[in-house]
Amino acid sequence: MPIAVEIPKEKWTGRIREITLGATADEGGTRKKTVTVGGESTLPFLTFEGEIPNPPVVALEIQDRYPDDWSTVLKDAWGDVLNDPAAWATRAEEYGADIIALKLQSAHTEGDNTDAAHAVDTVKSVLAATGLPLIVYGPGQPEKDNEVLVAVAEATTGERIALGNCEDKNYRTIVAAALANNHLVIAKSPIDVNLAKQLNILISDMRLELDRILMDPTTGALGYGLEYVYSVMERLRIAGLTGDKMTQQPMICTVGEEAWRTKESKVNEGVPTAWGDWERRSKNWEALTATTLLQSGADIVVLRHPESVARVKETVASLLAQ
Amino acid sequence: MNKILFRPEGQIAKVPDGTLLSEAITRAGILFNLPCGGQGRCGRCKVIVELGDFKRRETSRLSSIELEQGYALACQTTIHSDLQVFIPPQEAIVRKLPSEKAAAEIPTLSIVCDWQSNPTIRKFFLTIEPPSLSDNTTDFERLKRELARQHGIKDLAANLPMLRKLAGTLRESETKGQGWQVTAVLEMGTWVEEDALPRLVDLRPGDTTERRLAVAVDIGTTSNVVYLVDQASGQFVDSAAAYNAQISCGEDVISRILYARKEGGLQHLQRLVVQTINKLLQELAERNQIDLSEIYHMTVAGNTTMMHLFLALDPSFIRLEPYIPTVNHPLPVRASELGLHICPEATVDCLPGTGAYVGGDITAGVLSSEMFQAQELTLFIDVGTNGEIVLGNADWLIACACSAGPAFEGAGVRSGMRATVGAIEEAWINADTYESTCRVIGDVAPRGICGSGMISLLAEMFITGVVDKSGHLNRSLDTPRVRVGDHGPEYVVVWAKETQTRKEDIVLTEVDISNLIRAKGAIYAGFSVLTKSVGIDLADVEQVLIGGAFGQYIDIEKAIQIGLMPDMPWERFKYLGNTSVLGAFTALLCPDMRREAVEIAKKMTYLELSADNRFMEEFTSALFLPHTDTMSFPSVMRLLDKKATP
Repeated sequence: MPIAVEIPKEKWTGRIREITLGATADEGGTRKKTVTVGGESTLPFLTFEGEIPNPPVVALEIQDRYPDDWSTVLKDAWGDVLNDPAAWATRAEEYGADIIALKLQSAHTEGDNTDAAHAVDTVKSVLAATGLPLIVYGPGQPEKDNEVLVAVAEATTGERIALGNCEDKNYRTIVAAALANNHLVIAKSPIDVNLAKQLNILISDMRLELDRILMDPTTGALGYGLEYVYSVMERLRIAGLTGDKMTQQPMICTVGEEAWRTKESKVNEGVPTAWGDWERRSKNWEALTATTLLQSGADIVVLRHPESVARVKETVASLLAQ
Repeated sequence: MNKILFRPEGQIAKVPDGTLLSEAITRAGILFNLPCGGQGRCGRCKVIVELGDFKRRETSRLSSIELEQGYALACQTTIHSDLQVFIPPQEAIVRKLPSEKAAAEIPTLSIVCDWQSNPTIRKFFLTIEPPSLSDNTTDFERLKRELARQHGIKDLAANLPMLRKLAGTLRESETKGQGWQVTAVLEMGTWVEEDALPRLVDLRPGDTTERRLAVAVDIGTTSNVVYLVDQASGQFVDSAAAYNAQISCGEDVISRILYARKEGGLQHLQRLVVQTINKLLQELAERNQIDLSEIYHMTVAGNTTMMHLFLALDPSFIRLEPYIPTVNHPLPVRASELGLHICPEATVDCLPGTGAYVGGDITAGVLSSEMFQAQELTLFIDVGTNGEIVLGNADWLIACACSAGPAFEGAGVRSGMRATVGAIEEAWINADTYESTCRVIGDVAPRGICGSGMISLLAEMFITGVVDKSGHLNRSLDTPRVRVGDHGPEYVVVWAKETQTRKEDIVLTEVDISNLIRAKGAIYAGFSVLTKSVGIDLADVEQVLIGGAFGQYIDIEKAIQIGLMPDMPWERFKYLGNTSVLGAFTALLCPDMRREAVEIAKKMTYLELSADNRFMEEFTSALFLPHTDTMSFPSVMRLLDKKATP
């Protein structure tokens, strides 16, 4: 005799904030399309339980200098465009990226130490080359980040670029620049629910609206703390869905950077043969890290390998299909 | 041998090569404090080596200018030739003792108890027929016989020291034509053996039954307090307080435990605390014209480490996981065994503790605050270097201890100091100009900031936006007071020209602020974990009792603003002062309450926070102003909103 089983449904009181990256000409920018993330009223992919108005999206990472420290697997996949951020961005759009994540690596003081004007030129050329919304990262040094991001923010007023990263010890300048020029910020905290929430509070205390803050809870690749990150992200998401207004920010994960840093992706010499084919292994590493984090609530995954875009999107589509 | 000349007073010590400078100072007979117990961490044992060859092991506490000038930490510097050393004056211990205020009011027992029935010490006046050839009963049997005949005391025990005194005292008491007239002082049972044989504690010629003196003692890590009590009238007579002389061997319990591990260290610490108590007893004796040997009973409360040091028990394992004391409830000991200058046969009772970090002082607090009889859900907190917290009521009790660090005691903070003369105890910041005004203990030019001053200052800095919720200074403010100094970003509380020394600005650095936030975070996390562990919401707590010497100086409003205390109506908070000595007093006077103390210590569940993974989570959450969970601090949020929209 068939028994009717009713799947229990959780009723959440909170909802993740909707955040739109990029602005079209009508909205004060120059983007051909904008991307909206967030808005979920349920845990990832549980469409039977609540709404998921905006599926997770994929950003492809590009840099403003030839990434000589990248794996040859990546370098071979991209080819010549690596020398030209504008061309690289165009190619990334062709590969199906929803967002271009540009890292201003050349500004690093131990690298080329390029200045703010250089950063502005690069961003403008990328904006001209693609119609997609942009994320712009500084080189990851507080003073240099502030210098280049402020210049970029001012030169691109109204574009709703996500500026990253704001951290606990260095957020004021970037937030002020975003505030004055209608951009967004990325708030990055070191894998801790409380710290993530605290940074959101600090930033919103500067009167930046909460729908202009993305949070990056810090990513750990498969085999390198992934389960810890998973758990923290899940707890952040549950806190947000339970109604905690300061954790309802969509989450962004820098999957490519982390996955391609692992030994498994980076090297092929002296590794056990059981590890299998290097190229396949390293691409899987990125895709697996990404799809796992999507399950714990990632709204944007930033990837490096062109093929990962289609693979991740396919997974998202199949998980969202009834 | 190297000859060390100490200036300015000219003392001399002769020591072998490689001796620590601090050791040489002690040998020269100079009183010198090692606040961190000689670990080189506090940087307060600075001296200037003017001539000679020496090696510094640790210099992180000294600035480059100080190094050039020959400054060295006495506890971290070894001697390698004859030296000439200048010892600058150390922070004098002249603070207004917490008991000064308390002494003004006469403490009384808040608890209703029948202290008159079954007193522990009883005195019996006896007239005894001296022996003769026809009645050759022994002195002891004779005493026993008369106690039974005149007072119905059936049996009696006497120790060897008492027996030794017997023959002489009895004959000394011969009163012309009346035989021997003596007062026998008997202890009627002890804490552990209530129906023990009455024990002869003292025998005195004449009638001394009028008063029965006893003392209650609180051995605090920082200060010691003695209450003189007359058990005959049930009255408090007088009190005296002084710094625990052990401070010279370390300011907090951990430093003391480390010191105790040095050779002879434990014995030295035991002598120091006994010396402190004896000095206080002497003071009381002179003021009240009493003979100390007429004090027949002593109860002592203190934290577990202090009790160990008082009894010279090895405290090492209190510090190490899994944190095991030698004993929670030590058996009664004789005063003579400890070197206390009261009646040698007097019993010294230590109040029982619950664990390594919830000691007899907390039992005393729960007892004297009447928490153990309370119907209301009560939170008791003793704020100090360690924050001890008890939650419960008449039916149940759960306790935990969290290490707040020494920030509130003024240590580990750049311009921090103890609450002595010259310490800023309250501060205000103008919300428009960011200028500060301060109140200073003793109405003198300020020298530094004490714990209550730091709470007040941090609250003001936070409410006026000088620091953000994470405790970082807002460097975009238009004021010279926020600047980047040698030790990172800082706020200038008082400019050098307005200070006592006129040398250095009094500042609160970002590092200091982070230490303060850790201290308050640890205590608040203690509250949170404790309440959550029993499934109670902090808001359901009906009264908060604040004990401890430092506690009474905390401004509740400011403490809530920085998230040290839970945000609830102010009338729910009650200051109790030194609950430790009050508890010892209660137990001293009332045998019933002594029994309650044992019950409390047994009943209290000890929650070990280091074994509770919720603590770290709550701690991180509390490392924010006022707290990451802003919803728990509605009054502070309203205040901030009001400031934001003038």
